Amino acid sequence: MIRRVSTTSCLSATAFRSFTKWSFNSSQFLGESLDSSVSPLLIPGVHVFHCPDVVGIVAKLSDCIAAKGGNILGYDVFVPENKNVFYSRSEFIFDPVKWPRSQMDKDFQTIAQKFSAMSSVVRVPSLDPKYKIALLLSKQDHCLVEMLHKWQDGKLPVDITCVISNHERAPNTHIMRFLQRHGISYHYLSTTDQNKIEEEIFELVKDTDFLVLARYMQLLSGNFLKGYGKDVINIHHGLLPSFKGRNPVKQAFDAGVKLIGATTHFVTEELDSGPIIEQMVERVSHRDNLRSFVQKSEDLEKKCLMKAIKSYCELRVLPYGTQKTVVF
Amino acid sequence: MIRRISERVSGFAKNFPILKSSRFHGESLDSSVSPVLIPGVHVFHCQDAVGIVAKLSDCIAAKGGNILGYDVFVPENNNVFYSRSEFIFDPVKWPRNQVDEDFQTIAQRYGALNSVVRVPSIDPKYKIALLLSKQDHCLVEMLHKWQDGKLPVDITCVISNHERASNTHVMRFLERHGIPYHYVSTTKENKREDDILELVKDTDFLVLARYMQILSGNFLKGYGKDVINIHHGLLPSFKGGYPAKQAFDAGVKLIGATSHFVTEELDSGPIIEQMVESVSHRDNLRSFVQKSEDLEKKCLTKAIKSYCELRVLPYGTNKTVVF
Repeated sequence: MIRRVSTTSCLSATAFRSFTKWSFNSSQFLGESLDSSVSPLLIPGVHVFHCPDVVGIVAKLSDCIAAKGGNILGYDVFVPENKNVFYSRSEFIFDPVKWPRSQMDKDFQTIAQKFSAMSSVVRVPSLDPKYKIALLLSKQDHCLVEMLHKWQDGKLPVDITCVISNHERAPNTHIMRFLQRHGISYHYLSTTDQNKIEEEIFELVKDTDFLVLARYMQLLSGNFLKGYGKDVINIHHGLLPSFKGRNPVKQAFDAGVKLIGATTHFVTEELDSGPIIEQMVERVSHRDNLRSFVQKSEDLEKKCLMKAIKSYCELRVLPYGTQKTVVF
Repeated sequence: MIRRISERVSGFAKNFPILKSSRFHGESLDSSVSPVLIPGVHVFHCQDAVGIVAKLSDCIAAKGGNILGYDVFVPENNNVFYSRSEFIFDPVKWPRNQVDEDFQTIAQRYGALNSVVRVPSIDPKYKIALLLSKQDHCLVEMLHKWQDGKLPVDITCVISNHERASNTHVMRFLERHGIPYHYVSTTKENKREDDILELVKDTDFLVLARYMQILSGNFLKGYGKDVINIHHGLLPSFKGGYPAKQAFDAGVKLIGATSHFVTEELDSGPIIEQMVESVSHRDNLRSFVQKSEDLEKKCLTKAIKSYCELRVLPYGTNKTVVF
C-alpha cells in the first residue's frame, strides 16, 4: 500500500487534499515537495504498544510519529476496567527518507523504555521481511490446502519455510506437487507414542517467526514450547472450551448441540487451552448427519484459521491477562 | 388462525381445493353454512416402515382436511420415523374426538412411540408454571410476551425461592393478571420438592427461568412431564453457576445461551435451541452479562414457542428433533 504525493497535478492534490493535508504541509514546511522530482514516497507502518497505564502515553506515541512527519490513519486504544494496563495499535504512513527504518525502531524503543513496556513492536510491511512460518499437520490436509492457496493468491503475507507432517504423502498428490512447484520443503517425521521427535522438529523450525498447527494431532510438550520460544497457533474444530481433544465433531454430534464451531488459539502445554484468538459458528439441526457436521466444521476451520493468522501478521493480536487476547 | 371460505371472495376461494370438496358435498352453495376451517397439527414418531406418510395423509384427506405443511425426518442408519403435519379441516366434518381416534388407529398400527394432535383453537392452552430464583429478567420477558399474546400458554403460577416485595413490577403484574406467586424457600437440606410438586402437578410442563436449584430425579419422575430450562452459556461449555463469568475468564470470543430439557444431571439434558453473540476484549463482565441476558430471553421464548407448536421431539437419548 504505497501512496505518492505529487505537487504537479493540482487535480490529484485537490482530490487527496483531506488525506494528504498534513504530510503535504509538513513536506512544504520542510521545503521538499516543491521539487516534483523528489516527491516523498509514503509507506505504511504499524506499531503496537503494551505497557502499564499512565497519563500521557498516547500523546507521546502520537508526537513521536508526527515529529518525523508520519500521518496516523488509524488508532486503537484499549485500557481495561480495573486493570492498570494500556494497549494501543496505530496505523500510519511515513516517508522512510525522513524517518529511516532503524531510527523508527530507536524512537519507539526510547518510549518503550520510558513506559517500561511489556511489548513494543513496529512493522513496516513493505520493508520488513515477511514472517517466516512452518506449517505442521497430520493426516487431514484441508487446512493446509486452504493456506497454500491463500498464500499463492497473496492473501497470506508470510514466507512458508517448510511443511512438517507425521504422515507420509505420495509425490503425485496435489499437495506434494504444489509444494515442489513452489520450492517449499516437505518433511515427513514419524511420531510414536514414545517419541514425538520434538528435537528434529525444533531443528527444522528454530528460525521461523511462528508456527501454525493446521490439524497437527500431536501434543507439543512444554519443553518444546519453551525451547522454541515463539508463538504457536492452533486450529481446533470445536467451540472451545467444549469438545477438547480428539474428534470434537463427533463429540458435538453426540451431544446434540444446535451450533458447531471452530476456535483458533495459542498453544500452551495444556491441550486446547491456550488464549483464544478467534471463534466462528454455524447452525446444525437434526437434519445434519455426522458427515455434514464434519463438512461444516472443516469450512469453519479454514475461515477461522485464516482470519487468525491474518490478524496475527497485522499485529492485531496481543496477550491479555493469563488466558485471553486483545484482538484489535 | 381461522379461515372462512365464502363464495363472495372468489379470488381467494378459487385456488382453494376445500371449496371444491365442499361443493362436492353440497354445503357451500348455501353461503350461510360456509365451512369454517381451523388448523390442526399432528406429530408422529414411530419405527420406520414403508407407507406411513401415505396412511397419515390419507387419514387427513379422507376427512376433507388439507395439508398445508409437512415435515418428515428419517435419520440415517436409524430405524425411526418422525413427521409433523400442519393441516386445516372442518370440525363439523371431522369432529375433534374423531380426529384423536383416527390418528390413534394409525398410531397403534405402527406401534408409535408418540402420536399427538393439537387443535389450537379448540384445545385448552398448555398450563405451565414458571420457576425462578433471584434474577427475573427471563420471567419478565415471558410475562410480557404472554400478555402480548405471543406465548400461547396459561400461566398457572409462579414459584420462587426468593421473596419479592409486593410493590415490585413483577408482583404487581402477577396480581393484575390473577397469577399466584408462591415463595417456596429452599435450604441445602430441604429443596421443598414435595411442596413444589403439589403446586405444579396439574401443569402440562414446567419452565425454569433462572431457577438455580437442582430438581432431583425423584421430582422429575414424580412430575412425569417435560421441564424446560434456560442456561446462559453455550452448553456443554460452562455448566453450573455464573456461566457468564466462566466465559469471561476463559477469554472466549463468542458467548451464548442454551434451552434444554431438564434431566437429573445438571445442565445436561437434550438441547432444544442455542444462540450466540460475539464478544471481544472490549467487553467487560457487565456487558458479557448483558449480552447473555438478551440471548437468554430470546432463546427461552423460541424454545417454548417451538415446544407449544409440537416442533420438539426426542431423538436418541440426548438430542432433539426440532421441526
